[in-house]
Amino acid sequence: MEKYAVFVPKLVTKRENFAPGHRACTGCGEALAVRLACKALGQNVIIVSATGCMEIVSSPLPYTSWRVPWIHTLFENTGAVASGIEAGLKVIVRKGKRPAKEVKVVVMAGDGGTSDIGLQALSGALERGHDFLYVCLDNEAYMNTGIQRSSATPFGASTTTAPAGKMSIGQVTWKKNMPAIAAAHDIPYVATACPSYPFDLMAKVAKGAAIHGPAYVHILSVCPVGWRSAPDLTIRIGRLAVETGIFPLYEMENGKYKLSIDLPQLRPVQDYLKLQGRFRHLSEETIKEIQYRVNKEYAKLMEKVA
Amino acid sequence: MVTLTIDGREVQAEEGAMVLDAARDNNIYIPALCSNEAIKPYGACRLCLVEIVTNGKERLVASCLYPVEEGLIVKTNSERVMNNRRTIMELLLARCPSLEVIQDLAKRLAVDKTPFKLEDKRCILCGLCVRACEEVVGVSAISLVNRGIDREMASPFYEFPDACIGCGSCAYVCPVETITLEDVGDTRTITMPNPKMQKTEFKLKKCKICGNYWAPEKQLDYITKTLSLAPEIFDVCPDCRE
Repeated sequence: MEKYAVFVPKLVTKRENFAPGHRACTGCGEALAVRLACKALGQNVIIVSATGCMEIVSSPLPYTSWRVPWIHTLFENTGAVASGIEAGLKVIVRKGKRPAKEVKVVVMAGDGGTSDIGLQALSGALERGHDFLYVCLDNEAYMNTGIQRSSATPFGASTTTAPAGKMSIGQVTWKKNMPAIAAAHDIPYVATACPSYPFDLMAKVAKGAAIHGPAYVHILSVCPVGWRSAPDLTIRIGRLAVETGIFPLYEMENGKYKLSIDLPQLRPVQDYLKLQGRFRHLSEETIKEIQYRVNKEYAKLMEKVA
Repeated sequence: MVTLTIDGREVQAEEGAMVLDAARDNNIYIPALCSNEAIKPYGACRLCLVEIVTNGKERLVASCLYPVEEGLIVKTNSERVMNNRRTIMELLLARCPSLEVIQDLAKRLAVDKTPFKLEDKRCILCGLCVRACEEVVGVSAISLVNRGIDREMASPFYEFPDACIGCGSCAYVCPVETITLEDVGDTRTITMPNPKMQKTEFKLKKCKICGNYWAPEKQLDYITKTLSLAPEIFDVCPDCRE
């Protein structure tokens, strides 16, 4: 459970760097995540936004929701563009054309832009050790093009390209463990967050931005349209994802793992699955299989934490 | 709207806004430790000193407390400002040499050593926690007591603060991260930087359905009382609530 309840939210900055009035759907967890992340980042940032929901909803010509410098990139070259901007900033400072000021390059990309199409550019940027923060907004499918499966789609979820039916249970592969891939690059900071835990999310984004070197924050963003859930349950579904152990919140700092939300006991995965239409077709056997896998993955994580 | 000049740049600010906010809105860096936009400015840390020109005379003011004026000329990095700021930073560094935030800020302001006698305090007496407790939470459980060199942040008579509801606002708002909050099992411990104070521990409420501990009992009692809610409303945690 998050520590801060009613009074602390009043102390958070009221300045919105991600302006309201954008075109995100009702109950969008991703827009919430971006808003909180932008509050934590402040103004001295350059945001590099890959193609995806947040690019589509925030920048319909001639409007923009971004009150900070922002550049749109393709799916596949986000990591490369961020590297270029970071290197460019360094050169401009070295040549004395701009005073040395801390400007952070922050990438915001969806799960498709991170774990499928943009993976090699990201891997290259992490390997070269550029000073940037990568924020992956994971809504577990290609939502803006019409809910096509990605490698981040969980087992058993029904999508338009992995539909559930008589002969299929929907997605038949397990979710790619993207934070582990980022951590395998031996970067200084990797964390997972969820907008249902806003203070935890803001602290992790701020920490990632403050660290010198590449940092990676993976944010689970509930998508009521693609997950076929009620828009008013966005926050609850996010919390349940954490409490069932499906998406544990942790951070890895210089190889040391730490659990952010330590629960005495996990809820059954059923609590999380039953609120979403994309898992409606699942038989009890499949749910058991998911539960077994979740327990196994959680135990693996606990080994790393200990 | 009011037009003023900060560091040679003409900027616009709303009437009644402070110079610090106007500068920050325009991405002009002024260091400050004791400011938070939800809390009334207080001018305790003095790091936000700037030089203003009024009637042809230059003087130093705390920018967090100086409202913007039409045609005001502000300098945030003149030699006089930098000298004063460095001295203040040296004093803070001498008072709290072990605090990471102070060390980082000193490095940023190019202060690497201090000519003053070193102390080992863990509080800079900015009063943010005290003001948050009073203005935002409305309980005034802690206060700044004594005067001069004896000034410190404390609860009444250094005893367990009865008014405290364990919300953690002080820990969140503390600019030097010296107030800490930790939940272990069914107790929440808030550690204050004043060694004379008793430990502040709170019992956490257990959810009737899932059995997780989720908020201090005192805080929930305070909320039920101030909002006149039904007493059983917080028996279950927000996740189990229908």
